[in-house]
Formats: sequence, structure tokens, C-alpha cells
Amino acid sequence: MRGPLTPFSLPAMSLEEGSYTGGKPGQQQLQQQQGGGFGQKGDNGDGGGVNNKVKYTMPGVLHFIQHEWSNFELERAHWEIDRAELQARIAYLQGERKGQDNLKNDLVRRIQMLEHALRAERAKYHKLKYGTDISQSEMQLPSASSAQDEYSSLPEGGADSEAPLSVISNVSWKQGRQLLREYLHEIGYTDTIIDVRSSRVRNLLGLNNNNNLNEIEQGQIESSQINGNNYNKRFSDNQGQCSPTKRTQQQQQQQQQKKLLDVESAVMANFEFLSEMRSTSDSGDVDMDDDGVDDDDDDDDEDDDEMGMADDVIDMTSICKFGPDDVDAEADEVVNELQLLTEDISNKENEQNDWKVSNRDVFNKNSNNANWIKNEPVEMVDGNMDLALGLGELAQLTVNNESETNADIIDMKTASRKTWNAKYTLRSHFDGVRALAFHPTESILITASEDHTMKLWNLQKTIAPKKSASLDVEPLYTFRSHTGPVFCLAISKNGEHCYSGGLDNVIKVWSMPSANIDPYDSYDKNILINNLEGHEDAVWGISVHHNRSELLSCSADGSVKLWSPTNLKTPCLSSYVSDQDEIPTSVDYVRDVEGQFVASYNSSHCVIYDIETKSPITRLECSKDPTEMATQLIHRVKCHPTLPLTITAHDDHHIRFFDNNTGKMVHSMVAHLDAVTSLAVDPNGLYLLSGSHDSSIRIWNLESKTCVQEITAHRKKLDESILDVAFHPSEAYIASAGADSLVKVFV
Amino acid sequence: MKMAESVKKLLKRNKPGTKASCFRKWPDEPFEEMESTLAVQEFIQQQIRIDPSNIDVILTPPDSQEEGVWKYEHLRQFCMELNGLAVELQAECLPDTCSQMTSTEQWIFLCAAHKTPKECPAIDYTRHTLDGAACLLNSNKYFPSRVNIKESSVAKLGSVCRRVYRIFSHAYYHHQNIYNKFENETYLCQRFTKFVIKYSLMAKENLIVPMPDAIMQGIRTEEDGTTSIKEP
Repeated sequence: MRGPLTPFSLPAMSLEEGSYTGGKPGQQQLQQQQGGGFGQKGDNGDGGGVNNKVKYTMPGVLHFIQHEWSNFELERAHWEIDRAELQARIAYLQGERKGQDNLKNDLVRRIQMLEHALRAERAKYHKLKYGTDISQSEMQLPSASSAQDEYSSLPEGGADSEAPLSVISNVSWKQGRQLLREYLHEIGYTDTIIDVRSSRVRNLLGLNNNNNLNEIEQGQIESSQINGNNYNKRFSDNQGQCSPTKRTQQQQQQQQQKKLLDVESAVMANFEFLSEMRSTSDSGDVDMDDDGVDDDDDDDDEDDDEMGMADDVIDMTSICKFGPDDVDAEADEVVNELQLLTEDISNKENEQNDWKVSNRDVFNKNSNNANWIKNEPVEMVDGNMDLALGLGELAQLTVNNESETNADIIDMKTASRKTWNAKYTLRSHFDGVRALAFHPTESILITASEDHTMKLWNLQKTIAPKKSASLDVEPLYTFRSHTGPVFCLAISKNGEHCYSGGLDNVIKVWSMPSANIDPYDSYDKNILINNLEGHEDAVWGISVHHNRSELLSCSADGSVKLWSPTNLKTPCLSSYVSDQDEIPTSVDYVRDVEGQFVASYNSSHCVIYDIETKSPITRLECSKDPTEMATQLIHRVKCHPTLPLTITAHDDHHIRFFDNNTGKMVHSMVAHLDAVTSLAVDPNGLYLLSGSHDSSIRIWNLESKTCVQEITAHRKKLDESILDVAFHPSEAYIASAGADSLVKVFV
Repeated sequence: MKMAESVKKLLKRNKPGTKASCFRKWPDEPFEEMESTLAVQEFIQQQIRIDPSNIDVILTPPDSQEEGVWKYEHLRQFCMELNGLAVELQAECLPDTCSQMTSTEQWIFLCAAHKTPKECPAIDYTRHTLDGAACLLNSNKYFPSRVNIKESSVAKLGSVCRRVYRIFSHAYYHHQNIYNKFENETYLCQRFTKFVIKYSLMAKENLIVPMPDAIMQGIRTEEDGTTSIKEP
């Protein structure tokens, strides 16, 4: 947005300065005129006095006194008029400000929409051009969030103009304006300030209508600055609209101003437009006290930045031309999102230097943003089409936001990665690898295999163990305790424990070995913390809670169990059995709502349970036809990290998406050439990773449901190929586990 | 690792939710019809699954099977199944009671996993040996492919066998109940003994766990050191 914004803000600034310096001479002129007038009168009076000194006649004295009195009366009338004008002006400007606030809120919402449209458009474009891109949208998101930052903080009216993400030019501009403001205060020309503002407002309004008007406006502004009386005249007219009771007074002065009538009508047209845009009336909340002038003055400083922004924004809307009504529904959504974000923003302001914190905030915002998108999928698709056509300068708007903000901080992390490339092949298992889990923060991967073991790998530590120095990565630790194939694996969110389950019916709770453990260290029995016994058949799925130390498991015995993994005596907290279904195949916590989980059953249905009441809340059914159901076995169920969305991987090559609230299937796609066995959603909730027995892993854009990349990763053993996939929760790794005993890591 | 298989239509898959009783319970398939590149492993596991005690059948390679890969895949399978023995030993074989890796009193085995061979406690020796074997057998340098194996790499198999066998012997002489239980289920030591004899991977003197005569037949004598400390 450098392009449009700078040109806009700079002229606005120079205009302001121009109007200021122009206004000041105008004011001086006015003073001179008045002073001149008085001076003349004084001269006359003095002259009369001199004459009268010669002959003190009563009529002469009376005449002089009457003359003086009339002069004072005249002056007083002037002051009254001025005062009335200023009061009206205050009322007008207050109304104006409210209107601007409302307008700005609307526009912020629209910008949100447009940025979203733009992102989608760019992603599409980039995909067409390069085939795929993951970092692209990530790079754009900071801009969106920073825009939210700036805009959303404004309605609160706090000291947001100091927000760390503000444009640099804004800062210098503001300092300059502050200086000017102090200068004006010294002089006491508050009306001059109002003049400045009025010219800016008019400038703004001119932009709001059409270009012709704009030019006329500018002409008028110039003339009004040259001729202070013109300004007053025109102004009194404005007041007539705002406060009819003052009209009589003002009408006295209207006669001299006929030459500006045309211009005035244009101004009135502007006002009418403005009043349409406002939901609050101009006349509401008029402060008749003189103090109001000062208050307004103080506020003025803060308003200025907003105003500068509003200038650009208004221009944008005039380009896009969609009525406020059209976007109200979506806009409300955005406003809600903005409110949600307020917390994050304040965090961000406080801890801006803390990279991780701000980064996390951005993630939150992204997900919130995505949330909003998801809620309105249909409208947004249509909106995207329309908006995309009319984008034009708006495209640059977002670009500028990017360059202005500190987005590069985040960019450092995601770099400009276009595609995932194979980096490591982890070879050490003797049989198929069934499950994978990344450490939440470190570059550590744990793999679980049908060879009864689990192994821990440090992807940053490429060991060269004495003999075979040529190996790239070797396991640092081998977890031995299971007496059968290990099927499922999870790492606690704090990275201190990991949990595994398998054919031997037991869930093992392990403490996490050090990331730098010597692979040939002596055996420590305490690595195995607990055995969770209770299932009566193979354990096929484990899911850990995102905050609490809680664990869900599903078993071929037909039950889903909730565990407190470190409770040595009675670890099993609850057991859940579905009346209508037989065997759970996979389980996951519902991430966007607390206290729920989803389990998939071999009936090809999913059930969302309330953890506390143990009662089913929603059934997610993709088909009621028994023959279809038989082919639709769900290999894996995953919940979106932030949306009420459940994603299922089916035996019939499909991936299906369900709305958790309605239980309805929202999307279904043929995702692979063979059964889809595994799913992973990236931590931001933007991408989906799927693995299949067709030996490939695919990365999907969750928004567009399109495949971004396909990688053929593993060979088949028997009829199985890829058994699990995973995203690293905080770093740029993905991994796949294969029946060929190998694990591949991509960066 | 018995490769059981489930009666899944055509596909040999263990889908999530498969009961333990159905795990790997799929119909047998002749080696010729196994199309995957890992057919040798599939075939070995299928033979074991059918009857773990039928050692001769398990050790009989299909026609035209190249011997290097056959030996390699069998050794992988042994190491994998030895995990089961190691798990049992973890519970009982403590550094306090078995501070050295011994079988008979004749030798102390030094752990080869360290830069300088070291007198690890028996349980550590067991774990380190299995870990080291896993590394070697999965080494990209020596065994980059499971389809074609270089002669020089096949020569490495002997040292793996020699070390791994000490786990059997330690279990037999110091944890006999564990050994017996494990052996009754898996016949692993018998199969291993037969395997190393058949392919001449170890010297007769080192096969110190008593075996039925049927297993020991065809053994050939070989020289080995008689030092009191056995180097890796």
C-alpha cells in the first residue's frame, strides 16, 4: 500500500500545512480587517473627540457616547455571531467525528473482506504460477493482522496511534502536527485549527463524492483561506443545517456571499451524503459550553491519524462501490473478531519485542480470521469473485500494509519456502512404522513401530556413532516395553511425556528422554512412568488434550477411555461406548470447544461426545446406505485446531469434512488413489496433510480444498504403505511413516 | 513377530479397530504372488505366523531367492523378535544382579557399542547390542537396499549374529524362567541356532545354549579364542 497510501497521506499533509499557513494569513487578514475597522472607528471617534474638545456640546458628547456604544454593540454582535458559529462548528465537528468513526468501522470491515479476497486471489494466482505455495499466505497474514491491529484499536479511542505497528511516516507526521498545534495554542487561534480541520474535512468529502466536486472543493478551500469572511459566511450556512435556531443571525451575513453559492450547494450535497453515511445524527450530543472547543482541540491530535487513514479508506470505498447494507452481516462478523482480537493486540503492544509472543498472537489472529471465513463460506466465494474484479488499488493497499508493518519478523520464520522437500530418511525400525509424533517445541520426533519399539530422533543432531559414521540421523533412544506392535503415539503438550498404545492392550506413559541423551547410555527404568491398563483389546488411537494432562484412547474392545496418565492408582477416568456403533477406529479432542471429543467408528460414522456427561452430542454421518458404509471405514479423524470442523480419512479414498455444530457433511473429496490412512492439520489450521496406501502424502489448502503438493514417499509392504503423517507443532517439519519401516521427514 | 493376518477381503491390511485376534490374519499367499519389494520379509513373517516351531520351513528360502537378502531379512527378523526378550529382561535383569554380561563363567563380554568396548551391565549390553544391530542393519552405507546386498556387507552379518547370540545365552544361564517362557512361545533361539549353523555365521564353540540334537546337526567345528575376556 506504499503506493497509494503515501501519495495520499503526503498530499493530505501538505494540504493541511497549506491550509494552515493559508488559514493563518486569512485569519490575520480578518484581524487586520477588524482591527482596521475599529481603528478607523477609533480614528473617527478620536477625531470627533479632538473636535469636541474645542467645543464640548452635550449633543456632541452624547453622539460620541452613542457612537461608541453602537461600536461596542456592533462588536458584541460580531462576537455573538462568532460564538454562535463556533458552537455550531463544534456541534458539527462532533457529529462529523462520530460519523467518521462509524464510517471508519465500516471501512475496516470492508478492508478485512477485501484483504481476504485478495489473499485468496493471490494464493490462486501463485498456485497457478508456481504450482504450490505454503508460505505465501502465511506471509500475507501478518499484513492482515497488523491491519487489524491498527484499525481495530482505533474504535477504542485509546493511545493507539502509538501502536508499535504504526507507519513510520505517521510518527513524524504526528510530531510535526503536534508542534503546529502547540504553536497555535500559544497564539490562541483555535478557530484557525477548526479552519484547518474544515478544509481537511472538505477535502475528504470531496474525495467521497466525485472528482469534479473535489476540484471545486479545493478551489473553495483556497478561496476561503484567502478570504476569511468567505469562510465565515460559508460556515454559517453549514450551521444553518446543523442548528436551525441560529439561522436568523446567520442570515444577516449571507447576502454578501452570492458569488460562492454554487460552491456551497456542492458542499451541501456533500453533507447530505455524509448524513446518509452516518447512523448517528449530526445534531446529537451537542456540547454548548465553550469548554467544548478545548476538548475538541485535544481530541484533535488523536483524530488526525485516524483522519489520515480515513482519507485513504474513503477513497477505497468509492472505488469499490458497495453499499454498507450489503456487507453488514459479514461486517458484524468481523467486528466480533476484532473484539476477540483486542486482547491479543494489547498483548502485542506490551510484548512486542517478544518474538514468540507476537508470533503466537499472529497465529491466533490467523485462526480467528480463518474462523470468520469458515463461517461464511458461501458468501465469501461470491464476494471473492466480485471483489476480485474491482480490486485494483485495493491490491496495492494490502501490499503496502505488508511493507509498512513488521511482518518481516514473521517472515523470517517461514522464509520463502515454496514446497516441502525430503530431508531425512529415518531408518532403524525393523517393521512398519505405525505412528509419529513431534515434540511441541524441539526438533524431536518419536516413531512407533510394529517391531514393538518406539524410537526417539533428534533431527538437529546427526550423530556419527563410532562405527558407521556415514549415517545421517540415528535414533537417540529406543523405548522398549510393549510386547506387541505399537499402533498409536502422542506427546503431551508440554513435551514432558509421551504415550503409546498397541496390540498388547496397554497404554504406556513414558517420560521424555533428554534431547541430547547418549544413545548408548545405561538403562533407566524410570523412563516408563505408568501402564494404563483397562482396555481389553488392541489400542488403536490416542489423543492428548491441548492443555490438560489428559488422554483419550480408543480400542478394538469397543470403548473410548479417558485417562489421567500420571495417576498411578486409578488412571482411567471414564469410558465411553456407543450404543449404535461397534468399534472405534480413531479419536480426537474437539479443539475449538472445551469438553468434547470425537470418535470415529467402524460403522463409518463419527460421534461427538460430551466428556462430562458421557452423552453423544452430534453424530456425523456421511451415508446411511449399508453397502456404502461398508466401504467408508474411517481410518483417522481429526478436529480442526480452531474451527468447529471435523475431518475424516476414509477407506473409499475420500476425505470428508463435517460441521461439528450441525453434524452435516460440508465437503467431500476424492483425495487419493487408495484408502486414506492418516491426517494432520498444521498448527495454524490452514493446511491439511494426508497419507494413503497409494504411497503418497498430499498437502491440501484447507480453505480451497485443493491439493498443494503431492509427494510419493514410501513403498508398500503387503498392501499397506503410509500409516501416519504429522506436522511439527511449531517448526517447519512434516513427517510420514511407512509400512516399509522408514520414516521420512520433509522441510 | 508373527505376521498374522486378518481375513480382509483381498487386501492385507490391518485397519484401525482391528481386534488383536484378527490382526494379521490374512490368507497365506505363495511367495511368487507377493509383488511388493519387501516380499522376502513378508514371506518370512508369513512362514513364522503359520507355525513358529516349524523351523525348517521358516528357514527354507523360496526358489531362486538370493542368499544374501535371505540371510539379511532373517537377521532383521531375529533382532526384531529379540526385542521381546529384552523387554522381559528389563524387568528382571538389573545392573545390581547382572553387573556384567556373562553367560557361563568363562567369558565376560564387552559392549561394542562404545568407542572403547566397555563392561556394560547385562541389560545395557542387551539394549546397546540390539540398538547397534538396528543401526547396522539399517545402515545406509552397508545396507542401502533390501533387494540387493553387497557381498562385503553380508560379511557383517556374522558379527551381528555373534553379539546377538549372547543375549540368548545370558538369558538362558541367568534368567532361565524368562528364557524358557520366551523360547516356548517363539522357538527363537532354536531358529537362530539353526540359522547360524545353516549359513555358517557362527562358530560351534560359541553356541553354548543347549539345543535338541535335531538343531545341532550339520554343525561344523571352528576355532575361536579361549580368552577369559571376549572382545566384541
